[in-house]
Amino acid sequence: MDGIVVKRLRFHYHMSLTFDTPIQEHHFTLKCLPKSDDRQKVESLEYDVYPNYFVSRTSDSFGNDCIYGYCKEQHRRFLIDVKGIVKAGLAPAVSVDDDCQAHIYQYQTRHTKPGAALREYHAALLPSSGTGNRPRAEYLMHRLHRDLAYEQGATTVATTAEEAMALRKGVCQDYAHILLSLCRLEQIPCRYVVGMMLGEGMSHAWVEVFDHNGWTALDPTNDLIVDDGYIKISCGRDYRDCMLNQGVFTGSCGRTAQQQEISVSVEELT
Amino acid sequence: MGIISVEHTGQLYWLGRYSERVYTTLKLFADRFDSMLDLDSDEYEEFCVRQEIPNIYTSKEDFASRYCFDEADPNSIYSNLIRAYDNAIVLREKIGSMALSYIQLAVYAMNKAKESPAPLLELQHVRDNIVAFWGIVDDSVDDEHVRSLIKFGKRVERIDLYARMRMNQHELKREVARLNFRIERTGLSYSRKKLAHINYLVEDAPLSYKELVEEIESLQEC
Amino acid sequence: MELKELSKYSDAVNELLARYGVKFGIYKNHTFKEQLFPFDMIPRVIEQEEFASLERGLKQRVMALNLFIRDIYHEKKIIRDGVVPEEFVYAGSGYLPQCESVLPPQGIYSHISGIDLVQSKDGTWYILEDNLRIPSGASYPMIARDLCRKCSPQTFQKYRIDDNRNYARLLRQTMDHVNTGGHTVILTPGRYNAAYFEHSYLAEQTGAHLVTGSELIVENDYLYFIDYSGKKERVGAVYRRISDEYLDPMNFNEESVIGIPHIYDIYRKGNVALINAPGNGVADDKGIYYFVPKMIQYYLGEEAILKNAPTYLPYYEDDMKYVLEHFDDLVLKDVAEAGGYGVVFGSKMTKEEKEHFLTLLKAEPRRFIAQEVIDFLDIDIVEGNSLVPRKADLRAFVLMAEEPMVWKSGLTRFSRNPDSFIVNSSQGGGFKDTWVLSR
Repeated sequence: MDGIVVKRLRFHYHMSLTFDTPIQEHHFTLKCLPKSDDRQKVESLEYDVYPNYFVSRTSDSFGNDCIYGYCKEQHRRFLIDVKGIVKAGLAPAVSVDDDCQAHIYQYQTRHTKPGAALREYHAALLPSSGTGNRPRAEYLMHRLHRDLAYEQGATTVATTAEEAMALRKGVCQDYAHILLSLCRLEQIPCRYVVGMMLGEGMSHAWVEVFDHNGWTALDPTNDLIVDDGYIKISCGRDYRDCMLNQGVFTGSCGRTAQQQEISVSVEELT
Repeated sequence: MGIISVEHTGQLYWLGRYSERVYTTLKLFADRFDSMLDLDSDEYEEFCVRQEIPNIYTSKEDFASRYCFDEADPNSIYSNLIRAYDNAIVLREKIGSMALSYIQLAVYAMNKAKESPAPLLELQHVRDNIVAFWGIVDDSVDDEHVRSLIKFGKRVERIDLYARMRMNQHELKREVARLNFRIERTGLSYSRKKLAHINYLVEDAPLSYKELVEEIESLQEC
Repeated sequence: MELKELSKYSDAVNELLARYGVKFGIYKNHTFKEQLFPFDMIPRVIEQEEFASLERGLKQRVMALNLFIRDIYHEKKIIRDGVVPEEFVYAGSGYLPQCESVLPPQGIYSHISGIDLVQSKDGTWYILEDNLRIPSGASYPMIARDLCRKCSPQTFQKYRIDDNRNYARLLRQTMDHVNTGGHTVILTPGRYNAAYFEHSYLAEQTGAHLVTGSELIVENDYLYFIDYSGKKERVGAVYRRISDEYLDPMNFNEESVIGIPHIYDIYRKGNVALINAPGNGVADDKGIYYFVPKMIQYYLGEEAILKNAPTYLPYYEDDMKYVLEHFDDLVLKDVAEAGGYGVVFGSKMTKEEKEHFLTLLKAEPRRFIAQEVIDFLDIDIVEGNSLVPRKADLRAFVLMAEEPMVWKSGLTRFSRNPDSFIVNSSQGGGFKDTWVLSR
């Protein structure tokens, strides 16, 4: 068993949207609330949404906590502010009482579906030595980290694993999608995770891999096993299941341009 | 009492307007068609001016066929009938299949008239079906708001057309009286000031037709 | 029974169908056209006893399918027990992970099921496919019956035929059973949908409000209809005629402009009923079809009363071997396609087509099923002054309220082309009424 190191982390997530013309009839869903599991304990959590004409809570089918709501009136700014304290690194894996449920994460999605580039890359890898899902996923992660260049601006949120693989570059979302795709090619159940990380000013994405211990988290962007410096927010089959913020609205006329600002801070409490 | 959405409110109102527009313009057309038979008259030119529609017609024969039947002409009676149909078809559960069927039959009759060497006969069927439609609306639409919205549209359109065609004061006074009665039953909000002004305008002699058209058009922004 | 005499009313009934706008929409060269749905006067007649047996089989099947959907989105026992391989479930396009652990009001998933059957020459009925998403078509025999009774009252005096105009009552009962409080509405994508006639006719007949997405709004965890005075009226049941994908841009396809944002979130909380439940596609996939008799055995402990057409899954090695050996005798179906598309006959392929197909089959065996070609019992249609035999199927409707109810009628669709097996209206087929004799 790995040595357990626990950290208490104070986090602050702030997102603001500014529209160049007023919008109305705005429906939104926000998945930006960390929740307690085996690995982390949320000690305190508070949030503010503006405008808050109607705001409610729910959870989705992947077990993520969601805030959703509606604002009928015109507005040009939309803000969400989440603060809290999380004790992280409590366990190496998140246990499950139901293996079968994990298998829904074994199949490719629109974002992870392999094409020629991924298949070719996968074919050139060493075959599995049959040591289990987690060591295999670690091997795939090491290889991927070596062969992919971290580069901002080369890809967008809509980029698929296949497209990023063909480019051989990307950001955390692309690293995660490609690792998911490779694992799924080998029938390893695995899921996409969105969260925050100590010392990182943005939200982060990584991967959880399933085996008999439960879900173990790997961070392919940094080639690390997720430890006490990470706060998980949500998980799903791919990026689309974990969008921090989703919205539909009516603009005044023509296209409304929006500017999004996200700031994340995670600091250790001593 | 049923519930009616904003969309349906507009559709009922416009169904009333377009059904009336088809009915009355067909009547006007029939009169002109008859007088143009033996006179070398360019009466249609004046008709276009009064209706404020562009005179795109090259001859009285061209007018007779295109004003009536041209699908591509947005001002044709055909186009107006299709608009009535487009509004009616989304209202089946509000007005009933029976009422809707008469608008459908009017469309079929219109298509037949288009192919006929004696279109006035078939066009009479178009008008018969519209009258039957109004009859069914009166007879079997239970919801007063639904019924009144159609009839309100019909009244507005009639006043509008009659004013454009410079109908006599007596006719217009009667139609405005009917409008006063109907508008209260629609549950719509409207400008009472405008309605009062319309009532004032039809009492005045000589009638200010142009002003009347403007006022009636802006009574209900539907 | 001498039914030929009925053909003399053909014109009269078709004229009435036109009068009542009994049409379906179709896109040709990107423009929308409304077409009359050709009606054939000669009904399909099913004897009382024969229908009673169909009825038992249909109820059994729909019960099992409902249990299956519930199981898949909750305990997944049938997968654990190895009856259905998980890839047929999770990799299929009909499986929606958003539906995991969501229980619809009253636990009903498939409120309205359209089960397609064919009869073979030896009289046996076979299930062709299950439609558990938005099966359409009930309105056509319903209005046709009404008009036929007008045109030929003596026929309906002479034969004792179960009145099928009770469909609206059955549907209303089905919707009311799951209503969580408030109005019942039928949600249509709009008049340019192929089945718009049906949407509006069912709304009229059931007394439900016909609405489009823009007329409904989610607020305070409930669904509301906003009337023209601005008053909000709660909606408790939505018979939605738009597909899962377009239902809610916040939970499914974010591009959807015809859906209702957050309707799925309040459905999850039990605050509105959606008819049929989202996610049903997991059970009417052509690949899952193969497993329905096994489901009936598994959930109900009974033998399936109604037979599947003999089906092979190339996914299983033995079946693949059989398919390759008997290729020319089989009909092959792409599980991802619907509406009569993606269906090919082994015997009708050219050499190149066959080679191409076999490569595809070997590469993606899960994508296809193969079936024995059933020797259809043709039924007569009127053509000019004579009767000619044509292929036809039967869509039976099963509605689920407290108990499953089988509508004593159904939509009989036929192919107008003598060489075709495809009966879909989108491919030029016509329809017949289906009579169930009451004695």
